[in-house]
Amino acid sequence: MTPATGPTPAALRVPARTAPPAVTGGQGSWRGSLTATRRLIRLVVRRDRVRLPIWVASLVGLMAVSAQSIQSLYGTDEAAQAYVATVGDNPALEIFAGPGYGFDRPTPGAVLVNETMLWLALATGLMSVFLVNRHTRAEEESERADLVRSAVVGRHAPVVAAMAVTAGANLAVAVGVAAVTLPFGFPVAGTLALAASIGLVGLAFGAATAVAAQVVGTGRGAVGLGSAVLGLAFVLRGIGDIRAPALSWLTPFGWGIGVRAYAGERWWTLAGLAAFIGAGTASALVLSARRDLGRGLLPERPGPARAGALTVHPLGLTWRLQRGSVMGWAVGVFVAGLVYGSVADDVEAMMADNPQLADYLQQIAGASLADAYLATAVQMLSLAVGGFAVASALRNRSEEAAGYAEMLLAAPVSRWRWGAVHVVVTLVASVGLVALSGLGTGIAYAQASGDAGQLGTMTLAALASAPAVLVMAGIATLLFGWAPRAAPASWAALALFAVVQLFATVLRLPHWMTLLSPFGHVPSVPAEPWRLLPLAVLGLLAAALVGGGLAGFRRRDLAAD
Amino acid sequence: MSTVIQCRALTKRFGATVALDGLDLEVAEGEIHGFLGPNGSGKTVTIRILLGLIRPDGGTAELFGADPWADAVALHRRLAYVPGDTNLWPNLTGGEIIDLLGQLRGGLDPARRTELIERFDLDPRKKARAYSKGNRQKVALVAALASDAPLLILDEPTAGLDPLMEAVFQDTVLDTVAQGRTVLLSSHVLAEVERLCHRVTIIRKGRTVETGSLAEMRLVSRTTITAELAGDGAALAALPGVYDLRADGPRVTFEVDHEALAAVAARLGELGLRTLQSSPPTLEELFLRHYGDELEHGQVNHPSVAPRLEANR
Repeated sequence: MTPATGPTPAALRVPARTAPPAVTGGQGSWRGSLTATRRLIRLVVRRDRVRLPIWVASLVGLMAVSAQSIQSLYGTDEAAQAYVATVGDNPALEIFAGPGYGFDRPTPGAVLVNETMLWLALATGLMSVFLVNRHTRAEEESERADLVRSAVVGRHAPVVAAMAVTAGANLAVAVGVAAVTLPFGFPVAGTLALAASIGLVGLAFGAATAVAAQVVGTGRGAVGLGSAVLGLAFVLRGIGDIRAPALSWLTPFGWGIGVRAYAGERWWTLAGLAAFIGAGTASALVLSARRDLGRGLLPERPGPARAGALTVHPLGLTWRLQRGSVMGWAVGVFVAGLVYGSVADDVEAMMADNPQLADYLQQIAGASLADAYLATAVQMLSLAVGGFAVASALRNRSEEAAGYAEMLLAAPVSRWRWGAVHVVVTLVASVGLVALSGLGTGIAYAQASGDAGQLGTMTLAALASAPAVLVMAGIATLLFGWAPRAAPASWAALALFAVVQLFATVLRLPHWMTLLSPFGHVPSVPAEPWRLLPLAVLGLLAAALVGGGLAGFRRRDLAAD
Repeated sequence: MSTVIQCRALTKRFGATVALDGLDLEVAEGEIHGFLGPNGSGKTVTIRILLGLIRPDGGTAELFGADPWADAVALHRRLAYVPGDTNLWPNLTGGEIIDLLGQLRGGLDPARRTELIERFDLDPRKKARAYSKGNRQKVALVAALASDAPLLILDEPTAGLDPLMEAVFQDTVLDTVAQGRTVLLSSHVLAEVERLCHRVTIIRKGRTVETGSLAEMRLVSRTTITAELAGDGAALAALPGVYDLRADGPRVTFEVDHEALAAVAARLGELGLRTLQSSPPTLEELFLRHYGDELEHGQVNHPSVAPRLEANR
């Protein structure tokens, strides 16, 4: 939410030759409501001229190395056959990788889809959520929208411009994906289907966020709602493929992967996605015409005239500020845990049909399949909680940039105390969320397996990732303390660790790279035995990072935007 | 009377930009001190240094004799601050924010809180995001004025207020000073400064160009005289210390240096004085005098440039 800096962008300067709107082309008409859309598109591109290329280049780059790696590892149908025999039919992996279209007659393309499609679509989805919010609700919240809309700008122009640029960004990703995949000899039709599905799924979440931005009144809320829809869709698609295929088709992911790239393409699913995007955008426009600029559709109620006992202390205030996001995350990770835990038994049962594969996996994993699956599930959830940890730790930077910190630091609140209360809320909430994800998984698995002990086992298993999550908060705090304007780079660190975590196998990443990621040191409990030493080291590292960050913050000038 | 704020030769750079270039500021206990300067002259930077939010590159700043950076917390128990651009947590109500800031400063007087909310006509149940700029300003003002802090630092506190609320603000500030508190008031509303402030400091491009009481400043400035005479006023132009004389029949208008006033008055008597109007320089004239070179090409019809204060010392 960095405000635009520099001279007035050309996109906003309305030249004198612009004719006043004709009576028939006024705000009431559809065309009139789009006045200046092209200018706004240029403004959005101008503001994001660094951000967008980074997103597109990172995603395309990831696809390039994946395609290269899969080509070299599983470049023949025989190698692909071997892939399917070992990992392909594993229902545990199906939840995170996809239904495995084309695994009856494996080709390198099917392997590529299985390893990359959902993760890349998740990433384009995130990109679209942030992008749409940044240019719709966040803009309105900053009151810059008033300035823009007071110019010769149609009612719908801002939303349409944001969607247009988001479509452009997803198109760029899709074109890039196709361009880097084709040279490795993957079939053209399948490659186009894969690329288009990644781009369209991303844009679908952009459309969902455009609707969210009309409903809730804050940028933080719109991103939260958009990301929640994204996360829910991801979980639903996984469960749907195991248990109830209809669930998958409720989500853009299901429609996207349903195009069956490299496995007898069904192009009509892409048309379904396009229809969803059109309907979402249209709903956003209809909703935006029914509300006041700067307000959401949800009504504002008056609050208390006096502060409660909690709010008047910095710690209480910080909790109050983060409460909504913590609660949202809590519901999200708990429900996701419940869902993942509830299918652990199915995983075991499905494996019974394939004793050979079960034996094989038992041998390499050295643990029961359910345990291996559960360990993966809680690790995925803690990777997501890593996102909360970074966002929450960056909250003190956004409070500073918005000028709220100044109000408190001009009162008798020390730098140390102000910074520390934020860190305390971040650390406690992160550990709590990790525990909740394990608890959810444990409750569901205990219910399904009839083994009540799973409740404690899974909660502890999830907590094994807590030190790694805290390291993420530490990285963000360190940057906040020493290089406040570079603090958002902690997102890049999280993205890098997530890629290392999720793609280590397919990319055959060297061992040292997995060790770069704090999550790479976490034992896969319950599939692996506990190893406490790495956890203790991670905990100490997190403490050092946080301490170092706060020490830096005490030393530097306050930097409001 | 002891000194509450003392800045000597403060410097602060932001990259290539020089924000403060040897600024001096001295505020005595119990006074309302006006802090004036054009936009970007360094007022807010100075205030942020005084609050320990940023550190000066050179010079010294003292608040109650202590270092604002090192002793920030202890000092902040003794001051209340109203920022010029009031950013409030959008999801908290005005009432909550007043309580929060008050409690952090060591409590506020509930009776005074109620009274001020009423005087400023503020709805404390509204969320901060729903407030207008003026109402956000009122929240910060009520929180500061309801505290017992002996020093108030107000950075353009009336920027968003309507004239009615401005009057309420001025009365309230005069009340607080009657209780023996000290106020540093940065403002562009010169009428307000003229009404409230005992002394003013005028800065420009990060330097102090003038400081003192308004009375002192007027002593070293020109007074505008308009008179009707029986005789020929044109002769006055020859007197030392008389400038810009315009004669319109029996009516003359001119400016005169303070030191020359007695001699000029005597001469006016000799010329058959019928009516006399004497206007001491307004703060606006004093203020604009220091920006003469910036305004030369401009449209503002400023009073003629009097000799600089420094030259008269």
